Amino acid sequence: MATGKDGDKARDEFLAEAQELIETLSRDLLILDEGQRHGQRTPEAVNDLFRGVHTLKGLSGMFGFERLGRLSHVLEDLLEDLRLGRVELTQPVLDVLFEGVESFQRLLSEATSQGEPANTDVEGFSARVKSLIRAKAATHNVLEDYELDPSMLGVLTEYEEHRLRSNLLEGLSVYRLRVRLSLDVIDSALEELKDRVKSIAEIITYLPSMEGGAGDAIEIEMLLATRRGEGELRAALHRPDASLSLVLKKSRVAEPRPAVPSLAPPPRASQRASSVATAVVKPAAAAEPQADLSLRSLTTVVRVDIRKLDYLMNVVGELGTVRAALSRLVDKLRSTVDLTLSSEAHRVWRSFSRHLGEVQAGVLDIRMVPLAQLFDKVAVVVRQVAREQKKEVRLLITGSETEVDKLIAEELADPMMHIVRNAIDHGVEASDVRAGLGKPSPATLAVNAYQKGNHVVIELSDDGRGIDSNLVREAAVRKGVLTEQAAGDLSRDELLNVTFLPGFSTTRQVTDLSGRGIGMDVVKTNITRLGGAVDLESEVGVGTKVTITLPITLAIISALLFEVRGRLFAIPVAVVQEALRLPHGAVRTVEGREVLTLRGTTLPLCRLGDLFRLSGTEELESDLFVIVIMVGNRRLGVCVDRLAGQQDIVIKGLGRSLARVQGISGATDLGDQRLVLVLDAASIVEEMLAGRVNPVGIGGVQ
Amino acid sequence: MSEERTAIAQARPRGRMARVEETGVREFLAFCVGNERYALPLSCVREITRLPPVAEVPRAPAEVLGIISVRGQVTTLIDMRKKLALDAPALGSRARVLLVDQGEEILGLVCDRVVQVYRLTEEEVELASALGSESSSYVMGIGRPGLRKGTGGAAAKARATVSAHDILILLDPIALLKRHLHE
Repeated sequence: MATGKDGDKARDEFLAEAQELIETLSRDLLILDEGQRHGQRTPEAVNDLFRGVHTLKGLSGMFGFERLGRLSHVLEDLLEDLRLGRVELTQPVLDVLFEGVESFQRLLSEATSQGEPANTDVEGFSARVKSLIRAKAATHNVLEDYELDPSMLGVLTEYEEHRLRSNLLEGLSVYRLRVRLSLDVIDSALEELKDRVKSIAEIITYLPSMEGGAGDAIEIEMLLATRRGEGELRAALHRPDASLSLVLKKSRVAEPRPAVPSLAPPPRASQRASSVATAVVKPAAAAEPQADLSLRSLTTVVRVDIRKLDYLMNVVGELGTVRAALSRLVDKLRSTVDLTLSSEAHRVWRSFSRHLGEVQAGVLDIRMVPLAQLFDKVAVVVRQVAREQKKEVRLLITGSETEVDKLIAEELADPMMHIVRNAIDHGVEASDVRAGLGKPSPATLAVNAYQKGNHVVIELSDDGRGIDSNLVREAAVRKGVLTEQAAGDLSRDELLNVTFLPGFSTTRQVTDLSGRGIGMDVVKTNITRLGGAVDLESEVGVGTKVTITLPITLAIISALLFEVRGRLFAIPVAVVQEALRLPHGAVRTVEGREVLTLRGTTLPLCRLGDLFRLSGTEELESDLFVIVIMVGNRRLGVCVDRLAGQQDIVIKGLGRSLARVQGISGATDLGDQRLVLVLDAASIVEEMLAGRVNPVGIGGVQ
Repeated sequence: MSEERTAIAQARPRGRMARVEETGVREFLAFCVGNERYALPLSCVREITRLPPVAEVPRAPAEVLGIISVRGQVTTLIDMRKKLALDAPALGSRARVLLVDQGEEILGLVCDRVVQVYRLTEEEVELASALGSESSSYVMGIGRPGLRKGTGGAAAKARATVSAHDILILLDPIALLKRHLHE
């Protein structure tokens, strides 16, 4: 392809890593924001942010992304001050941080698109950050109020001192823990102790003490902060030999306690204090454990371009066709040649099949990503839109560990943003309106994801004003989306789905975000293209719920093969409810359209040969089959000539020149060189049911 | 199939280089559609294959013959006879697919027969403007192999007379396939 491949590769790596870092940053920032709103301090999040920005700075420098580097540098300064408590975490600071992360994203996008034009004002931003830093908070030295060992205070790093101070300010109890650990197991014993303490308290610092360091043991002194009582703390420690004492508030006349001269500084504070015992604790044990963790996780992850996986997937798919061909050969062998040879061939084939299955599952698994990546972006948008609209929104996310194919997660981003914006923009009422209605002031936007068979379901619900189907009817008629007659005949559910039609929007006022009437139909188109479905439920005054149903993976699917007028087609098994012989006399005509009565329910019928205008003639009515498909909550009977079995297939997209062909999602190679078209069930159901309006309300929920 | 692929590869000794050596010379692949002879710049033809079993695509534009699989890639076939609005008998055993790369997508152009590769000098190419406004937008010009000047001598003259009927309609692949790419 292009020249300088190695450089490109390194650059791509950088861009991918930077993208990941920025995503993590925005996640940490949300935690920080959440904590700030609830008056909780989240020092971990600040630390993570600091580390992330620091890494980004390093990377940018290495790859010559000068503006990114400068931006990270300024943010790093701000975060450093935040970490050390020199700057208070206030709303303006948070806003600046959010803005910083957005700027990162913008700069990165610019870098990705190769262009260097920039309206991102790094200089102006830097200046604002600097003014924040300069307005440092003057803090009262709370440490002086407590009976703290001055020699211990002397060896605290600035960060530790800040943590101690803010814990005391928040009213947490600070304890001094002393425990003797045997030297030969010191590393593991210390780690164990730290883990136990961490489950219940924050470790401000820990130092080895020479006191009682008799030969094979060493005494460790720890300073920890907790909200729990001493009893609970003791119970959590599992160390009856530990001595625990609460750091008390000084009485006005308290004498300064004598110093304990034996305290040794941890290695990271060594520049500030001099002592003898530095060598006792190994640097590894004293290093910040969180930093360790993040380093480890980085090294086990391999970043791969999704196209490489697509390629692998294709190869695996081709191997699947080889397997089918081999199977035919093995069958032939069985009837002609001697038994030993054929059974051996069969055994080899079976083993090949099994391993191929494993490879296939493995490659698919690599492509799976948790929805958390997507939901984090949603959280950022929710925060942003809510602030712009001056609405209070509480976001509840559940099921973010649910996994989908990377490609689906990517394609889902835009539709999700649209839905979320719509919900806040149109659904959620202003705070005073909500108060008047007796609704809780922060509106709730709930995002829930779960797996259901071969599908992933994502539900987005709000407790806003809901959609008034009467307004939808009026608007649809006014905009000419529906005729008055047609609109009058629609049921409530059907009217709600009218909002997905192109050119429809109920709000008269166009806002910056949504309401241009292009939102929901884009949502529908994108999701349908992924082989998914989107449904809308709403109750006036109670809220709206959008349900997105998606296949878990796009790559390999199980498909039902069938024939219509001599041509072979495939349909994903995932959408097939059942396939049966067309029951005798079950087809009726209602208002010129054929329906099928199946076990007491009415099913619209689609004759694929007619829909696709295929040449040739259909079989006799009595020899036909019907495949019942269900997409979202809508069912359709598809009339076919013959069923031709089930097979795993790799769906390949049609080229751009055929992108406009409706009803076909791609093609698959069955191994005999001939391609078989794969039906796009969602678009056929759509075409048969949603586009047409009929008085019987066939398109409604069955 | 494969021997033809090799043939093309050899006929095109790194196309660009050939042009550098002999300025003004361009290579064209000539093929027949119905009774007409057309040619495309060789540089845009990826390979030539026989016509494999074709899967028809319902609801596709009329000139789309269907789709085939070319080493795992789904490729759309354009029926050149429909594209160029020519009447012709059913495709025979000499029918070939020219795989033409248009950047966004590789399309297969189905023709009745592949003729040969021509190396045309500037003198041998008559630009479309000479044909007047009647000509279609995708006709780049007319190629007249054998009209080479300067070489002189009896051999050239003989070639000119022999190839006098070899009029090639030179197609502009971008204009020809534009509709398919940007629809």
